[in-house]
Amino acid sequence: MSEASPALSGKEGVPPSGKVGTPSPHGRHGLEPFFATVESAPDARVAISVRTGRGFLNLRLNPHSRKAREAAERILGQPMPLAANTFTVGKHRVYWLGPDEWLIAAGEERASDLGSGLTDALAGFHAAVNDLSGGNVELLVGGAHARTALAKGCSLDLHPREFAPGQCAQTSLGRAAVLLAADGEPSTYTIIVRRSFSDYLCRWLENAARPHGAGFSVL
Amino acid sequence: MLLIECPWCGPRAETEFSYGGEAGIARPADPDALSDAEWADYLFYRSNPKGAHRELWNHDHGCRRWFGVERDTATYRIERSYVLSHTGSDAATGSDAATNAGTGYSSGNGD
Ligand SMILES: [Zn+2]
Repeated sequence: MSEASPALSGKEGVPPSGKVGTPSPHGRHGLEPFFATVESAPDARVAISVRTGRGFLNLRLNPHSRKAREAAERILGQPMPLAANTFTVGKHRVYWLGPDEWLIAAGEERASDLGSGLTDALAGFHAAVNDLSGGNVELLVGGAHARTALAKGCSLDLHPREFAPGQCAQTSLGRAAVLLAADGEPSTYTIIVRRSFSDYLCRWLENAARPHGAGFSVL
Repeated sequence: MLLIECPWCGPRAETEFSYGGEAGIARPADPDALSDAEWADYLFYRSNPKGAHRELWNHDHGCRRWFGVERDTATYRIERSYVLSHTGSDAATGSDAATNAGTGYSSGNGD
């Protein structure tokens, strides 16, 4: 293994002492080396960002159980998407993953707190809540040529006519399994990818976006 | 490449799926009662028709659900996709499941 970065050199499980507002463990996405060294083009028409500090929960419940759904929605403060391959935006983002499965990208609230709330609210129902914060990385791809760059490695038609804002899809991007979501602004996409694939995917994105001018930032 | 219709996600590229073999093979209720030949028949023998074939597919890179596909093994033409039922019969639901009607759950006693 190569040298540990200073941020990771402390004893495992021992938080840095005395610092208030230290990023949660979820603040580290593992892409620091990539974003620290990658060069942005001056006239970037594809903007690639990584969002730090996002927590993720996987929620499974029987969608026909209205009581279970309402219990979850009370905690979430927003409706859960029931239509396949759509997401709702409120305090959190709730993505449809399957007929009985959702991914919650937590907003301001800590995913662990939200997860406890959901677990309590769903006690007694046939349901499961799992914290996947450490396992996922959220990337944003936007800019005038974002769609063209993504289309190089995605078999879906990403034109807004077919993939409109509010729609999401689990699919392959550059052979990596991703959750791809069309955001409100035209040609802006959220990509949620397994952490272990995120470095590979960023390098794939860099390659796909380079002819269009690629810009990189950490959010 | 096949364009396979996931009952939930709609048409997707074949590379998003994995194949699960022939559909509609029920596990024997009482395996101990079977002869070796009957058990082998359940485990290993498949109909392997030329023509219409009901088979299982999993949408690995998508919603990760198993579903059924009726495909012609000679022409590769896919006639329909359907949601598997919980009761073991895989022919219960029609392809209107593509409208997100079917979820694999019975809707009667959700609570
Ligand atoms: Zn699917």
